[in-house]
Order: sequence, then structure tokens, then C-alpha cells
Amino acid sequence: MKAGLGTLAVAVGLNGSALGVAVLALGLRRGDERLLVAGRRFVWVVVGAAVAAAGAMEWALVSHDFSLQYVVDNHARATPLLYTIASLWGALEGSILLWALVLGGYLAFAARKFRDRAGDPLVAWATLTGLVVAAFFFGLMIGPANPFHLVGGPTPTDGAGPNPLLQNHPLMAFHPPMLYLGYVGFTVPFMFAIAALVTGRLGEGWLVATRRATLIAWGFLTTGIILGGWWSYEVLGWGGYWAWDPVENASFLPWLTATAYLHSVMVQERRGMLRVWNLSLLVATFALTILGTFLTRSGVINSVHSFTQSAIGPALLGFLGVVVAAGVGLIGWRGDRLRAPGQIDSPVSREGAFLANNVLFAGFAFVVLLGTVFPLVAEALNGRQLSVGEPYFDRMTVPIGIALLFLMAVAPALPWRVASAGVLRRRLAGPAWFAAVTMLGLALAGARGVAQILAFGLGAFAVGGIVRQVVTAVRSRMRADGSGPARALRDVTAGNRRLYGGLIVHVGVVIVAVALAASQGYGVKREFRLSKGESATLNGYRLTFVGRQVTETPQKRTVAARVEVARGGDVLGVYEPAVQIFPNATQAIGTPSVRTGLAEDLYLTLVSSPTDTEEVTIGAAVNPMVLWLWIGGGVMALGTAAAVWPTRRRRAVHPGDGASREGSPPDAWESRSRTLTEAAR
Amino acid sequence: MRLGRWSLVAAGMLAVAALVVAAGSNGTDDSASARVEHLSEQLRCPTCQGLSVADSPASTARAIREDVARRVAAGETDAEIKAAYVDRYGEWILLRPRGSGVAVVVWAVPVAALVLAGAGLAAAFRRWRRQAPAQPTADDRALVERELDERGRVERARSERPEP
Repeated sequence: MKAGLGTLAVAVGLNGSALGVAVLALGLRRGDERLLVAGRRFVWVVVGAAVAAAGAMEWALVSHDFSLQYVVDNHARATPLLYTIASLWGALEGSILLWALVLGGYLAFAARKFRDRAGDPLVAWATLTGLVVAAFFFGLMIGPANPFHLVGGPTPTDGAGPNPLLQNHPLMAFHPPMLYLGYVGFTVPFMFAIAALVTGRLGEGWLVATRRATLIAWGFLTTGIILGGWWSYEVLGWGGYWAWDPVENASFLPWLTATAYLHSVMVQERRGMLRVWNLSLLVATFALTILGTFLTRSGVINSVHSFTQSAIGPALLGFLGVVVAAGVGLIGWRGDRLRAPGQIDSPVSREGAFLANNVLFAGFAFVVLLGTVFPLVAEALNGRQLSVGEPYFDRMTVPIGIALLFLMAVAPALPWRVASAGVLRRRLAGPAWFAAVTMLGLALAGARGVAQILAFGLGAFAVGGIVRQVVTAVRSRMRADGSGPARALRDVTAGNRRLYGGLIVHVGVVIVAVALAASQGYGVKREFRLSKGESATLNGYRLTFVGRQVTETPQKRTVAARVEVARGGDVLGVYEPAVQIFPNATQAIGTPSVRTGLAEDLYLTLVSSPTDTEEVTIGAAVNPMVLWLWIGGGVMALGTAAAVWPTRRRRAVHPGDGASREGSPPDAWESRSRTLTEAAR
Repeated sequence: MRLGRWSLVAAGMLAVAALVVAAGSNGTDDSASARVEHLSEQLRCPTCQGLSVADSPASTARAIREDVARRVAAGETDAEIKAAYVDRYGEWILLRPRGSGVAVVVWAVPVAALVLAGAGLAAAFRRWRRQAPAQPTADDRALVERELDERGRVERARSERPEP
């Protein structure tokens, strides 16, 4: 019944998207607006089908319907409800279903936003592209990744339960959906990029229209990546949050190109330049999401994330090929129309900084991509296995990250077109001194490491610059209309949410960078073998093994070592690093116990289970500032939300209005005149 | 302030001084334990999924850490220890590929790409500098006039509107 409903929904989804593509294609060919309007309606068929299919799967999971193979493999009667619901994305087939659901949501979002313009060929081409992508994913569910496969033979009475790693922390319920909301969201700008290329309407209108979708997807992807790091830290028990695992890299790659795009798009809005580059970045971002899914799901790479080997690999690889070929082909074909007349006058200018930013982000993405796929390629070519791991990525990416921090500190202070020495001095001297004094103070106080001190100093530089910028704007507003500081701050920020939201994101990046530098540079880690009642000391923490504790629930058996933690004579509590044994898994899962603090975490793991004679080996680590990684991520998400939030007086801007002046958004005008007045001062 | 034009330079010099202080004392830590730590960061844990021997809690990783400590104590150099592991497990064991053989690609290509990108940018800027700046046409001027008029009207309307 549920399998029937699910299979039907998937079939409707596939046929609906294929029909929609056909109707739109016919309408575009004949120039028949009625067909275009009709074709757009198929988006709702796709949405309905995706909701029905995902609903059928959730229903099957929650009602323990073990006639479905997916439920047998990923669910057990003893699985708690939260992890039961999260099992939808616990394995390959379900995650494709989640992809289709999220894609349906974004297609609906786009269809609703452009409901008045369904007859416009640009919107029709975008919808058509979106429906092609939807057809591909529904096709996967008909073919190699069918979530509604029935069990052969008699229906089992219970299932295996989710992968143990996926059912012992609630973050598992949030990290994958966030990541997918990010990943899949990049389909929207991709759709419009393709539409703009096909129709030849390459003005800035389409880009303004999809800017917000890109930003929303970027915010979700950022959140998803940070939550993934948090999950890894709380669950995997090796003490870190990022291992340059191929699949972590796969989520990071589209983030890098999307971040590059969010910056370079401003050059296009302002100056009409970098059109080819921006389109390439959008196509690359979308292609990298497909590549990431390929790496994650095909089993070509051994990683925590490749749950299954499956036949889905060739399909994804083929689709990736189509996307790249279509993108490159269209950009090449439209090359002549994409030539921009403008020029960048000086490298020391806002647009010059954006160019440098893009070179660095592209280089960053290139290094990560190369390091990720090189072992595969090398093995395919000469059969010898190679590793490219953390030491490589650290060596290559830390300098790039430092350079990006520097740009982040300097670029917002640079005026467009050309920066005079006077303006530079006026805007940067204060923040630069703040940074230098911070660095010297920390170094004299005993902080070590060139990369660390640079990260702290450049972070201070960036925050100093942001404070200066906000204070200057608020002051001039106060002078202009005599309002109080609070009101002026509100007016100023409300008047340009995108700018100030972006600056909040920058503050979040600084927090993350500082936390990365501190936790990577100043951590301490030891192992202790303790018998009952014995103590050990690490960095002022006194760890006493109190005894072992065994808990059994139907879901799992937990063997924990009770460790009393004290510092300076005060008992801080009893922490229980543990090993969990799930009935249907061969491997026991270690679970760390973390004492989280603003300054540092104490991270306890069980290296070997307590024996019957009550002896235990625990791993203890002091990780400075890790909490600030998650806080910084939260600030980045907050800033994105502030930038995305609709402003009240927003003029409607339509995509494809041709010339950039028509499409130029009101806030660009506003900040442009502000830049002028500020520069004149 | 009188520091005037040299203000940014002075701040930069102060920052460099801070870096020198920070780098000074621990530039080369070749104590035995630091060497063991450094080596285990570069060896891949054979039974894990991409973790280094230093990071991994697995028993194999611990055995390798102990073996590395023994070798360091016995006076083997870093290169000798790495070579011993490569002999046993193949190049695969090194998380940082050596700059020889095919692996040279992962080091050389990004550097080459960065140099090319830098050169490309420099060339673009030279070309842009040589181009005469575009002169505004009469159409452009009319457009700007219109837009400024419009803006003036909007601003006036806004300032005349009573505060809510």
C-alpha cells in the first residue's frame, strides 16, 4: 500500500516533469504563450509527487512497514522516533527522495515568484531546466535508487535499524536536510543562468532575480557544513570536526564557488563586467553539487558518508557530463554577446579586490577538487594507490585562507573604481593599528604560531574595519537628521540590509577563523590508563576514574567510564565517555563526552572499555575555542538571513529586462550614492 | 595625526614584529615527542577512513604511534621512518604525497595555476590601463539627468511624508 503509493508518486513525478518539459519545449518552439503557462503548472505536479513519495516513505518508516526493503535496512522497531524520521536521509535511496522533495520546494518557490511572467520565454526556459533536473532525480528513483523496493520473500518482523553512527546524536536530524537545502537550492540560479544563455537575454535582470535564491541556498549550505562539523565532533570521537574527508570536501566545493559568485556578482551589478565568469561560477557550483553527490553516493571513495555501493554512479557521472557540456557549450556559443565593454581602472579598488577574492576562491576550490579526485585519477591511470590527506590540504589552504582574511579586512573599505592613498589611510589606519596592537599583545602574552597570530590579527583588522564603517554611517545619519544613536543605527541598517547582513556574515567568518586557528594550534591531547579511583592531570584538569556503568535499552547497550573532572579543587562534574553497541551492527561505536566551555572544551573518549578489573584507558583532549566555531556559524546564518529578509520598499525587478540600468536594484543605487558622498568627504 | 602618510606602514611593521616574536621561540621543535607527533600526522591509519595515525583512536593507529616512537628513540631519521612505512604499505600510507612521481601533479599544478591567474590578471590590468576611458554619450548624460531628477523627487516626497 505504502510502497504502491510511493511508486505511483515517483512515476507521476517522472512523467509530470517529462510532460512539463515537452509542453514547455513545444510552447517555446511555437512561441505559444498559452502552452508556456500550461507547462509551468507541471511544477505543481512534481511538487505533489515529491511530497507524496516522501510522505509514503515516512509513513512506512513510522508504521514499521517491513515489506519495504528500505525500511528493513534502515529501521528497527526499537529506533526512537527522531531517528526513524531522520532515516529518510540515512541511506542512498531515501536521500535521493529528500533531494527530489527539496528540489520540488525550490521549483515551487521559483514558480510562485514568477507567476505573473509564466509566458516569458526566459522564465519558461528556467522552468524547463528545473524540470529536466527533477526528471533526472525521479528517474534515479525508478531505476538504480528505487526507495520503494519490496522485500523478496516473507516480510521480516524487524529491521536492521539505521547505521549506528546515524542514530546516536540528534544533529543527524538537522545536518543532512540543511545541507540538501543548500545543495539543491543552487539549482535555481543554474536554471536562470541556462535560461539567460539560451534566450540570449544576458542583461543583469535574471541575476538580480535569482540573487536571493543563491543567498538562501548559500546560507543553508553554510549551516549544513557547520552542523556537519559539529556532528563529527560530538559523535565520531577523534576530537576533530573536519578531516578533509572526500565527502566533506564535496560539500565544501560548491560553497567555495558560490561564495566567489556572491562577491563577483556585485562587480557585474555595478559595472556590468565579469558576465562569463559569473555564469561559469553558477554552472560550476551546480555541477559541483552533482559531483559531490556522485562522490558521496557511488562508493568510489571510502568515507564515512558512502553508505552503499550502487549502480547510481554512472547515472550521476553521465548527468554531470551533460551539465558541464551544456554549460560550457552555451557559454562558448554566447561568448560574443557576453563581452563586457567596461574596464577595471585600478587593482586597488573594490572591483580589484573582488577579482583577487575570486582568484583565491577559485584557487581554493581547485586545490580541494584536485586533492579530492587525484587519488582516484592516479589509481585509474597507473593502478597505484596514493593518499592526499590533511597535511596536504593544510599546507595548501592555510595560506589561501590567510590571504582571504586579509582581503576581507581590506576590501569593504575600498571605494569602487579607484582608491586614493588618502582614502585608504583614513579608512584603514584605525583598524590596522587595532590589528597590529592585538597581534603584538598576543605575541608578547605568549601566543605562538605565525598562522595563528596572522589569523587573530587579520580577524581584528576585519572587525575593526566593520566597526569603523558602521560607526561612520551611524554618525553621519545622526548629523543628517538629528536622530539618536539607536534610531540612526536602525535606519542605517534597515536601509541597506544586504550590505549590513554581509558584514554580519564577515563577523561570523572572523569568529570561525579565530576558532579554527586556536583549536588547531593550541590543542593538547593525551591518553591515560587508569584503574578505579586513580587520577591523572591534563592542563589543570584532574581526571579521576570513578567506575564503569552499563546501560541497556532496546536500541543499544552503552558501556561508559565515569570520570570525575575537577579543576583547582572544584569538582566540575562526572563525564561519561562511552562505547555503544547496537544489536545489528558489528562494530562498537565510541561516543565522546565533551565538557563544553567558552574558552575551551575538555574532550574525553574511551580508548579501551573498562575491564572487569575496572581498568580503563581514556583519551583526554583540551580543545580551545571549539564552541566558537558553532557560534560563528550561527552568526553567518544570522547575517545571511538579515541580508535575505525582504525589505519593505522594494521595487519589483523583472528578470531579463536587458540593459543593466533597467535592472539595477534600488539598493545598489542607494549604496552607490552613499559611496560617492563618503568618498567626497 | 602627524604619523600621517606612514601610519599604515608603521602598523604593518608592528604586525611583522609581532609575527617575529610569535615565530621566534618555537621555530624548530625537534624533541622526540614533537617528532613522533609530526610523523603520526603524516601517516594514514590503515584501518580507518582517511584519518591520520595521530588523530585515530583505533588500535592499529596506536600500534603505529608506538612503533614510530620506538624508531625515533632508536635514532632513525624522519625520512627513514617514512621510507620504512612506504615499503610496508606503499605510497598510500603517506597523507602528504611526496613531490616525486605522479604525485608531483598535486603540488605543481595549483602553483602553476596561481601563477597563471596572477599573470592573467596583470595582463588584463595592463590592457585596461591602455584603453582610453569610455566617453559618456549624450544618451548617457540624459539618462543620468533623468535618474537624478527621479531621485530628487523621491527624496523630496519621502522627506515631506509625515513620520509614522
